[in-house]
Amino acid sequence: MTSDVESKFHFSRALVEGEIYRKYEKAMRKHWTVEDLDFAQDALDWHRISPEQQKGLLGITIRFLAGEQAVTDELVPMLAAAHALRRFDWTMFLATFLVEEAKHAEFFMRWHEAVVGIVDPAEVAPHFLTRGKTIDPTGRFEVRDVMHEALPSYGRILHEAALGGTEREIERAFVQFSAAYNGFVEGVLTMPSYEIVIDTTTQWDAFPTLKQGFKLILADEGRHITFGTSACRLLIEKDPSYEEAVHEVFDAYRGNIVGLVEYQKAVPGLDVGKYQTMKVRHYRNRCREMGVKPDDTLIEQILDPSIDFVVGVEAG
Amino acid sequence: MAKQWTCVEAGCDATITAPDADAAIELAQAHIAEVHDSFELEDMIEAVLVDVTA
Repeated sequence: MTSDVESKFHFSRALVEGEIYRKYEKAMRKHWTVEDLDFAQDALDWHRISPEQQKGLLGITIRFLAGEQAVTDELVPMLAAAHALRRFDWTMFLATFLVEEAKHAEFFMRWHEAVVGIVDPAEVAPHFLTRGKTIDPTGRFEVRDVMHEALPSYGRILHEAALGGTEREIERAFVQFSAAYNGFVEGVLTMPSYEIVIDTTTQWDAFPTLKQGFKLILADEGRHITFGTSACRLLIEKDPSYEEAVHEVFDAYRGNIVGLVEYQKAVPGLDVGKYQTMKVRHYRNRCREMGVKPDDTLIEQILDPSIDFVVGVEAG
Repeated sequence: MAKQWTCVEAGCDATITAPDADAAIELAQAHIAEVHDSFELEDMIEAVLVDVTA
């Protein structure tokens, strides 16, 4: 009877002192709202820049608008898994994670409404940088749709495991999903995109609120990414065979990460090489956080200047 | 316990040692900005700090 009653309570001193609960507390302390941001100067800057600059910038921000909506929509399997694994600190942190992703989507919706005057799908869709299937001219790499293929697919596996799988099946599926969501998409692929926008607004001396928003969003993303990689590390320490799931994800979408981020070429004057080098740093860091060995061939390919095909990226 | 952070930018293996996490984060962010013209988020630095004897 005592243990039945005790099972109704999740808090413990160990939980409250743990790294994931401390991330929850930090998220609560660092809360910000879109309502507090003033888009007036950005709206003036929009009319000051050339049509070519408008097209280049909108190509990036529209993809963030789509990407942030996608990552908000794809987070539920993680919550289901945290519940199934009886990790209440993960559930608490994921509650902040979900609301922050929704807020990031709101930020981009408000920015486009106030600065460009577009909101409805029919208004924003024409500005989406559509790219036909990227083909690696050497035929070595396949470029796939990580946002709309990998996340829903790994998410479905995780959700099904959370509903009826064994603990090992849930844990392995969690590592796979988190490696794709937090490690690959948020932690490596998107990081250069944030920096490209910040570098662009600095170079143009314009769009202070877009820059401010990106910095606020990035601070949130730092918590999200390191939540995922910390959770992966905890699970991999418990069962080292889960490391294979991380490498499987990065290998399956290798072509997306070795190619150049589309925006690197969309905004004239940016140092293309800087963002490839940065991807290596972020990949090594995510591996270090997860406690897994980086794939040296992947690093060599990211840095190989002869691999220069361009990959469309939806960021979030 | 002092904290150590190692840069993993391609071609760089700079190591920073600081008396506590906050100081290590500040120094690491300065290194990334000055040497690599980039930025590193505090949670990412904090996640890989290593305890060392000062």
